[in-house]
Amino acid sequence: MLEAKDLTKTYGNKVAVDRLNLTIQPGDIFCLLGANGAGKTTTINLFLNFITPTEGQISIKGIDVVANPLETKKHLAYIPENLMLYPNLNGLENLEYFSGLAGKSFSRDALVNFLLEAGLQEDAHKKRVSKYSKGMRQKVGIAIALAKNAEVLLLDEPTSGLDPKASNEFAALLQKLKQQQVATLMATHDLFRAKETGTHIGIMKEGQLVEQLTTQEIDHSDLEKLYLQHMN
Amino acid sequence: MFKYFFIKELKETLRDARFQVMGGLVFILLITATLVGYRGFDQLQQMRKQAQQQVRQEWVGQGNKHPHSAAHYGHMAFKPKPTLSFMDFGLDSFTGMVVYMEAHKQNDILYSQAQDSTSLIRFGEMTIAFVLQMLMPLLIIFLVFASITREREGGTLKMMVSQGVSTRKILLYKISSYSFITLLLFLPAFLIASTLLFRQSHTALQTHLTGKFFTLLSAYWAYFMIFIVLSVLISAFSKTSRMALVQLLGVWIFFCILMPKATANIADNLYTAPAKYEFDDVIKKKVEAGIDGHNPSDKRFEALKQQTLKKYGVDSIAKLPINFSGLAMQVGEEYTDQVYDQEFKKVQQVFKSQNRVSEVAGLINPLLAIRQVSMGLAGTDYHHHVKFATEAENYRRKMVKMANNDMMVNHKPGIAYKDYKVGRGFWESLPPFQYKMASLNEIVQQNLWGIAALLVWFLGGFALILYRSSSISIV
Repeated sequence: MLEAKDLTKTYGNKVAVDRLNLTIQPGDIFCLLGANGAGKTTTINLFLNFITPTEGQISIKGIDVVANPLETKKHLAYIPENLMLYPNLNGLENLEYFSGLAGKSFSRDALVNFLLEAGLQEDAHKKRVSKYSKGMRQKVGIAIALAKNAEVLLLDEPTSGLDPKASNEFAALLQKLKQQQVATLMATHDLFRAKETGTHIGIMKEGQLVEQLTTQEIDHSDLEKLYLQHMN
Repeated sequence: MFKYFFIKELKETLRDARFQVMGGLVFILLITATLVGYRGFDQLQQMRKQAQQQVRQEWVGQGNKHPHSAAHYGHMAFKPKPTLSFMDFGLDSFTGMVVYMEAHKQNDILYSQAQDSTSLIRFGEMTIAFVLQMLMPLLIIFLVFASITREREGGTLKMMVSQGVSTRKILLYKISSYSFITLLLFLPAFLIASTLLFRQSHTALQTHLTGKFFTLLSAYWAYFMIFIVLSVLISAFSKTSRMALVQLLGVWIFFCILMPKATANIADNLYTAPAKYEFDDVIKKKVEAGIDGHNPSDKRFEALKQQTLKKYGVDSIAKLPINFSGLAMQVGEEYTDQVYDQEFKKVQQVFKSQNRVSEVAGLINPLLAIRQVSMGLAGTDYHHHVKFATEAENYRRKMVKMANNDMMVNHKPGIAYKDYKVGRGFWESLPPFQYKMASLNEIVQQNLWGIAALLVWFLGGFALILYRSSSISIV
């Protein structure tokens, strides 16, 4: 579903992503761990073609991302870190707008259902986003992803700044999408969530994927040890 | 896709408090300027029309007198206010509005509004043109400066691109949405202006009024588009909203404040027009000494006398079948006209060169281009002033020639000056003064530079968008 081969991105002398090899299958939830600046966000941005790779291949559903940037976008949904949305529009309007951009047009009821499914209370739907908390904005982002009905989900630190309850709801949603054979790539700092919800874990350091394992292979304390071992 | 984009831009803008305040202000200013401008135009036009009619009645009803006395009594031409001048006063406030036409000499066009005003008028007047040329770009800048940077800062640009919208489409959609919003602000004033315009027929003086009006609007639309495209481009290539705003304000100050002033000063230094005193002095000297300086007026008079005597085969002026004084005056008049035309052409050339400087500068600065085009279409530019001056001068020559000819043919020698008189029929044979404005075609030709500059900016902006849109940073 998602594939990177010897993926490299350099900025001048600095190597942001270094010969990264990665394959994510339908139904996988791949959690990228690593310190800030390890290259997690850069990897996600490369899959989105926001930046072009210096070397290597990158594809979604076997389609080359660099050659067909618009085609590959049809299959993916993306939630950036700290999504601000449009503060002067309400949640429903934001959702309608982004769905419309993807070429989809939904009835009012269908839009409301996406927001409810994402966990946003109905009384908030028609409030301006400027009044929303970070968690509420994140839920609108999830609704946008749900509405797109994508096979690939790219998430950049989706749970950072969420309270434990919201974080838990989010994990449940990911599990639901996993059942629908969605392939998820998620950058995160949350070791606990990564172990709980992820199927695979990768640890990045200075642009390199230094560790790659399934969550079944390891328990919590070992994961933390392994992580800290790489960071030091 | 565009539908959703457009609706969102519209909602976002209309709900933005900054836009509500700024837009409301410009909206009110524009409507005020329209109403005030039209009222001012209407009053001035009525006054001048009345004055012109009164002068005509006085001319026709001046009683029986010698035609040459009438030519000294003279006539006056009032410059009519062009209908579209209510949108752009142009030079009209600084150029004179009435010229006294008499035998033997060309007078200046006198009494500009600026003479009656305080020096505050130098800071510009609250006209539609001022609002459209200076304030609208500022409003556009405030409206558009963050159009891309804010999307980038809020992560929505990434979201948009991830939903499968190309950056080129984003830029073009932004431009379309903002041009519509600008149009919204502009529309009410436009409706009022067109109702006022077409409510009554001013077409006696005006040619192609509708064509000029819509050409003027198209020119302004192109001008706004230039600022919209420029603002979107700068926003797209700026790292932060603040930087985009600073850059755009810099552009505005350069275009709208610094460069117009500098251009005028440079043009004036490069091509200096002679002072009024010098101009008159040169004409006086050349008439006395002859154009080449070796043909003084008394010699010319003597030659004319000999030539005329020879032509009629007589030996003294008294025996001529015509009035020699009439002939001599007409010949003298024409000699003066010739000198005047030569000198006037020189001065005009200076002004033309000065204008050329700001025309060329229009290629660097769209404000200078729209200013020229707007004044031209409103009928308040330099070309129209010269046209009025020329037509008034031609009318003066016609009047003087008519008087001289009548004197030459009908005022037989031997009859005393005070005993030869003509009356109403003769006065009426001089048609009333009627000034006709330049046609749309002429105006377009006079303003080719300005129109070309606007087109270059307009197309260049879009070319940049198409050419550079893929290199915009999304993250």
